[in-house]
Amino acid sequence: MLAWIPFLEPMNAMQSWWYLLLLPLVFGISVVYRALREENYAKYWLSVVIMTVQIVFGIVGIAIALGLFVQFVIPLLNQP
Amino acid sequence: MTKNHNNSELQPNLAAVVLGWIIPGLGHVSLGQKRRGFLIMGGILFLVLCGILVGGIDAVDHKNDGLWFIAQVWCGPIVVGVDLLNQALIAPLPVADKVTRVGLSHANEIGTLFIAMAGLMNFVVLLDVVHARMGDDFEKRTSIPDRRSS
Repeated sequence: MLAWIPFLEPMNAMQSWWYLLLLPLVFGISVVYRALREENYAKYWLSVVIMTVQIVFGIVGIAIALGLFVQFVIPLLNQP
Repeated sequence: MTKNHNNSELQPNLAAVVLGWIIPGLGHVSLGQKRRGFLIMGGILFLVLCGILVGGIDAVDHKNDGLWFIAQVWCGPIVVGVDLLNQALIAPLPVADKVTRVGLSHANEIGTLFIAMAGLMNFVVLLDVVHARMGDDFEKRTSIPDRRSS
């Protein structure tokens, strides 16, 4: 980590918390998309935050649903 | 539905599309939509810089990640430059030296994903700028009748 050169070398230290990078990814997408769709600048940043939260909660919800399916439903299907 | 359109409204803004590819957001800025354009520019560059920060310059690689590169290249010459740097600085290195320069697992995946999403968002921006109107910035958009309903 000490010898890491930003932008030239990859940030391999993020392997254990990679899923937190969903936040900047979704934020960047929301900034661009709301810039195209929003008609009122006064509401722009609020709509960016709302879209970011909606997408993050949507993905977390899908992750929970898939986790439950893998942990509980598939073992039930495998029972004789 | 399009009877009331004049010819200048129907013509695609090809110059603005090219500008929007060269520097994301510049297409909107050239049409007088400065605030919208600079927000787009900030958003796209934020995604690209995050991608390079996480994945290193190896996050753009047209030889090993060709399909991803098709999505990434919509960001414009910035991404082409990063790919050239990757091919010049990292690709020729021996395997032992490459280890610290090439993204492993999630670092490579997330870095590549960030820049691919930036490219796809800029593709959407370019589609918007094709028929965007001059000066149609945030508040002004509401005061001008919608071009689709006029």
